[in-house]
Amino acid sequence: MDSDEPIVFAIDDDASMREALARLFRSIGMRASMFSSAEEFLKFKRPDAPAALVLDVRLPGLSGLELQRELNGSGIPIIYITGHGDIPMSVEAMKAGAVEFLTKPFRDQVLLDAISVAIKRDRENRKERAEVAECRARYELLTQREREVLSHVVEGLMNKQIAAKLGTSEFTVKIHRKGVMQKMKAGSVAELVRMAQKLELPSLKH
Amino acid sequence: MSTSSGKVFRDQVFSNYLVAVIVVWLAVLITLCLGPALKHTLTFFFCAVMVSSWYGGLWPGLLTAFLSILALDFYFIPPLYSLGIAVAELPDMLAFSATALFISWLNSDQRKVKSSLRQARDELDANIRERTADLNRANLQLQSEIAERRVAEEGLLQAQNELARIARITTMGELAASIAHELNQPLGSIVVNGDACLRWLEGTPPNLEEARQAVEAIIRDGTRASDVLVRTRKLVRRDEGTRESLDVNAVIQEVVVWTNDKLQRSGTQLRLKLQEDLPPVIADRVQLQQVILNLVMNAIEAMLEVSPEARTLWIRTERQVFGDLLVQVADSGSGIDPKHSRQIFEPFYTTKTNGIGMGLTISRSIIEAHGGRLWIGKADGGSTLCFILPIKRERPRG
Repeated sequence: MDSDEPIVFAIDDDASMREALARLFRSIGMRASMFSSAEEFLKFKRPDAPAALVLDVRLPGLSGLELQRELNGSGIPIIYITGHGDIPMSVEAMKAGAVEFLTKPFRDQVLLDAISVAIKRDRENRKERAEVAECRARYELLTQREREVLSHVVEGLMNKQIAAKLGTSEFTVKIHRKGVMQKMKAGSVAELVRMAQKLELPSLKH
Repeated sequence: MSTSSGKVFRDQVFSNYLVAVIVVWLAVLITLCLGPALKHTLTFFFCAVMVSSWYGGLWPGLLTAFLSILALDFYFIPPLYSLGIAVAELPDMLAFSATALFISWLNSDQRKVKSSLRQARDELDANIRERTADLNRANLQLQSEIAERRVAEEGLLQAQNELARIARITTMGELAASIAHELNQPLGSIVVNGDACLRWLEGTPPNLEEARQAVEAIIRDGTRASDVLVRTRKLVRRDEGTRESLDVNAVIQEVVVWTNDKLQRSGTQLRLKLQEDLPPVIADRVQLQQVILNLVMNAIEAMLEVSPEARTLWIRTERQVFGDLLVQVADSGSGIDPKHSRQIFEPFYTTKTNGIGMGLTISRSIIEAHGGRLWIGKADGGSTLCFILPIKRERPRG
């Protein structure tokens, strides 16, 4: 699995359109996979690479918008193509986070630009997700006490205050705090706060 | 008329009496000429009385008899050339008189019967003539009424065709999104293929094989787009109602293409159960398409009230035992209120907010013009519209 070579997925029930898109992607040397239905796409095991999804709005079975809802967790950027200039539908699609909504017929450059935007977005998303996953993995290493200390540190409390809250000595807090910084690989408190934000720790909310 | 008939009558009476006189004279002349060669002197006078009474009736007959007696007495009965009469000749003369009277009466009576028969016949003839004239008049009137009715029927048919066309255009309006989609699909492929083709040609070196394939795909999609237009035009054109031999299943398939978009958008499942090897029907393709399209659109709209998962549309065809072809369009909607089952075929009756209420009315009249029948079938949940078309039995007109 070539992990960083981007890939385009296209779902269209029209065989002729699939063939044309495949030919276009081939002409610019872009990795692409074609599907005739949303179900087929969901069954497919996607490679771990930055990707964009070109999706026909009207599909037999699961529709494009339904698929988008289904996929929202995975966050793959979607470019809609449609044979209808259906405004309410395009609004709904854009609200749900589509990159672009193209009506057939469209020029290749418009589609390719949208695809490159989508892939860039996916690459960032993937990076973001990887960072979050990394943070979470580090966070998992903390002890219960260290996690408590962490949440109070990011709240902006002084060691003394934390010690009072936890009912322990300032010295112990200092030791825990050092452990937290090391395990989280944070160079400063500001960095620790950013990490905590990424992790969306529940303690931050109250 | 009365004066001329009176004149004829007077002439007739005059000639009757003239004949009476002439025949008596003839009898006298013949009897005189024959003289002793004649065995019985009375013979020709009997003839005279018979002729006269037969020709002129009772009174000329009696006149003949009277003149005959005088002539006999004068020329043939001694004393000759005088009106005296010998006693010996009296019985003969009396017998002659009696016989002449009887003959006159008999003949005139027969004549009366004859003339009354003739009169009856004449009256009958006149009656027949009158009746014939009456009949002719009635016939003419009937023919003109038939012609009028034919003109009216043609007008009606024309109006019906026009209405059907308008309804079709209305339906096409509803299907506009579908048509746009049908067209944009191949157009989209054409543009993408064209762009891809340019890219293959611009490469170094150009990939001619890929470019050629792209152009072939463009040609294919161009044809596809033009097919869409041909189909659309066929459905909207002003048609004269041309009947042809049709495969109903193929017509249904064509219509389904039009409604694909609507079916998909509403999430309706389509189930086709088309019996294979159906014999062809004689029908107007466009009108038949219209009926099926109408029933399908109605069915789709009827199901908007139920949840999308529960929307199923069935189209079935089968050959009936009696040789008719049955088409059923069934939906899983909320069904037709039995109270409305009669009204829905009435013009301008609609339950839709934007319907004109002519769809089923026109559909029914189209099917009936094809010698078929359209009705609401029995259904457990949802509604079923059925129609039958006769197989191979071509109707003279409609």
